[in-house]
Amino acid sequence: MSAARTPGTAPARIAAGEGGSTRARLTAMDVARRFLTLREGSIVVVTVLAILYFSVRTDHFFSHANFVTLLPYFAPFAVLAAGEAMLMVTGEIDLSIGSVYLFSPFMFYEFNKAGLPLGIDLVLALLCCAAVGVINGVFTEVFGISSFITTLAMLLGLGGLTLIISNAQPVAMPGATVTTTTENVTHVVNGHTITLPEQVNHVSTFAKIFGAGTYSELIWALVIVLILHLVLTRTRWGVYSIAAGGNKLGAREAGINVRLTVIRNFVLCSTLAGIVGVLEAVRSSSISPDTSGASETMFRAVSAAVIGGTLLAGGEGTAIGALFGALFLGVLRDGLTLQGINADYLDFILGIAILIAMLINVYVGRVRKGSGRG
Amino acid sequence: MAESEDVLTIEHVAKRFGPVTALRDVNLHLRKGEVLGLLGDNGAGKSTLMKIVSGFQKPDSGRVLLRGEEVELRSVDHARSLGIDCVYQDLALIDQLPVFQNMFLRREQVHRPVPFLATRRMKQETRRALDAIGVNIPRIDVPVARLSGGQRQAIAVARTVTSDADIILLDEPLAAMGAKEGAMILDLVARLRAEARVSIIMIAHNYVHVLESCDRVNLIQDGHITFDRPTADTSVEELNEIVVEEYRRARLAAISGDGPTEA
Ligand SMILES: Nc1ncnc2c1ncn2[C@@H]1O[C@H](COP(=O)(O)OP(=O)(O)O)[C@@H](O)[C@H]1O
Ligand SMILES: [Mg+2]
Repeated sequence: MSAARTPGTAPARIAAGEGGSTRARLTAMDVARRFLTLREGSIVVVTVLAILYFSVRTDHFFSHANFVTLLPYFAPFAVLAAGEAMLMVTGEIDLSIGSVYLFSPFMFYEFNKAGLPLGIDLVLALLCCAAVGVINGVFTEVFGISSFITTLAMLLGLGGLTLIISNAQPVAMPGATVTTTTENVTHVVNGHTITLPEQVNHVSTFAKIFGAGTYSELIWALVIVLILHLVLTRTRWGVYSIAAGGNKLGAREAGINVRLTVIRNFVLCSTLAGIVGVLEAVRSSSISPDTSGASETMFRAVSAAVIGGTLLAGGEGTAIGALFGALFLGVLRDGLTLQGINADYLDFILGIAILIAMLINVYVGRVRKGSGRG
Repeated sequence: MAESEDVLTIEHVAKRFGPVTALRDVNLHLRKGEVLGLLGDNGAGKSTLMKIVSGFQKPDSGRVLLRGEEVELRSVDHARSLGIDCVYQDLALIDQLPVFQNMFLRREQVHRPVPFLATRRMKQETRRALDAIGVNIPRIDVPVARLSGGQRQAIAVARTVTSDADIILLDEPLAAMGAKEGAMILDLVARLRAEARVSIIMIAHNYVHVLESCDRVNLIQDGHITFDRPTADTSVEELNEIVVEEYRRARLAAISGDGPTEA
């Protein structure tokens, strides 16, 4: 904008042929503007800025090793946040995902203890989580209790139930145990073949797929977020979710089954939390019934969804934004740790950073709403 | 009462909302190809009656007959499948969705076999429909929140008119409109009336509009239809007289303090 008015650019414009250059500049600005006015545009920019900042300020941030370190701070939250975003679009919120995330691997453990194979354990555990979603949805949509209250009660109740089931004791996650065997391994050293007994770790294929593989959680997160993005932007399910959150009465008058739409998204949100619970349990190969950690997980996921550009009030939301919201929080946590920031300061800085990110969101949101008016 | 040419007959319909009786005993019929004007004071129950016919609300008692056959309208979808579509007074638009998605709300076109929205097709048809009606909406991919009241109303009307409904309910379609847009909607109603393919119930407050656009006029008072006359046999003066009389009674009731307490 101001570039065209600075004296330095005038000769360049003439040299390049005035019309062409101006048009090219406008197009680039258009693209930038278009991007920024995307719902997820601002959080993407904020995240990239955070990555650049930490890459410059610390030695190891932009490295493969750190990327792998970062993943658990990011991937599970991306899935939780994207699920939450799908629900928040309908104008509801699910605070119980923290407990569902805890409950799911314990159910998995119980089904496994009952002698069922791993695949069945997983399916049954996820069905239990889906049932939690149905209960949340029915209390909210059928009995008309606000989802904040319904799912707050579920957060506490299900956390308590998990403590009861587990006797408040941590257990090893079935299917995730690393077995170590001693095998004869052949090496070639200086032209001689030497065979020595060595310790070899084995992780089952199940575990590799469901969280133990280095990139397992990342792949799950990317695939799930992509699917949710398509559902939200390209299907009737997405349109009805937006309609239910944007104008509930109008959606019903138009013939949309708002109740079904909302309950379905509750189920989706819970089930995704259940999947993340299993992935994380397999990754760490143990499950501990840490209910305060559960609330923290939930708060991080909700924060990620909100700073990603999803409105608590409903009607607007983005799964990709939620992914970037989670990435932003992960980058911040990891980067501050690398900078050697005292752990006591971490949450303080995180809180301020969230507020700043939200301010940028609101500002860009205003620009978006204002653009193209009239 | 129900003649064979009636597409819609309402018999003894009543509806209460807790202590409020919206409809006491409504009898109404709509002939094929006819435009029926429905008049009534604020809170008289006009919208409630429309919502019952559109399947959005269930009557407490009474029957609805479609082409002479009794139906129990189970839902908006059900009523729509029977050819009934309503432009609600609140328009039932979703502010956050773009114009074309509002136009196809609950009637979305999707691809096969993966049911992704057929966005391009819906945009084209939206453009065609809006142009045919003559409504000026420059961009159909912007959220309807950015449009004026009149444009929003025009979209809601266009949505219903372009559906394949043959019984169309218009709940105050001119309410948020300026003269120009209002004239366009009245023009549209006149065209539909001339074609006589669809039958229309239109709620309006302007007697001149009703007399011009409708074949027949009904008045709803105290939960009953109290007046049913072809527009050719009545006049603005007569309609005015009836309403003035209603005010007079309401004031007397208010003064004596024992009348029906109406909001
Ligand atoms: N969903 C509802 N809940 C409670 N009362 C309602 C509801 N809908 C309408 N009413 C009441 O019913 C009466 C008729 O309303 P309505 O049909 O909207 O009147 P009109 O459209 O003629 O102005 C009013 O007193 C109104 O307050
Ligand atoms: Mg009304």
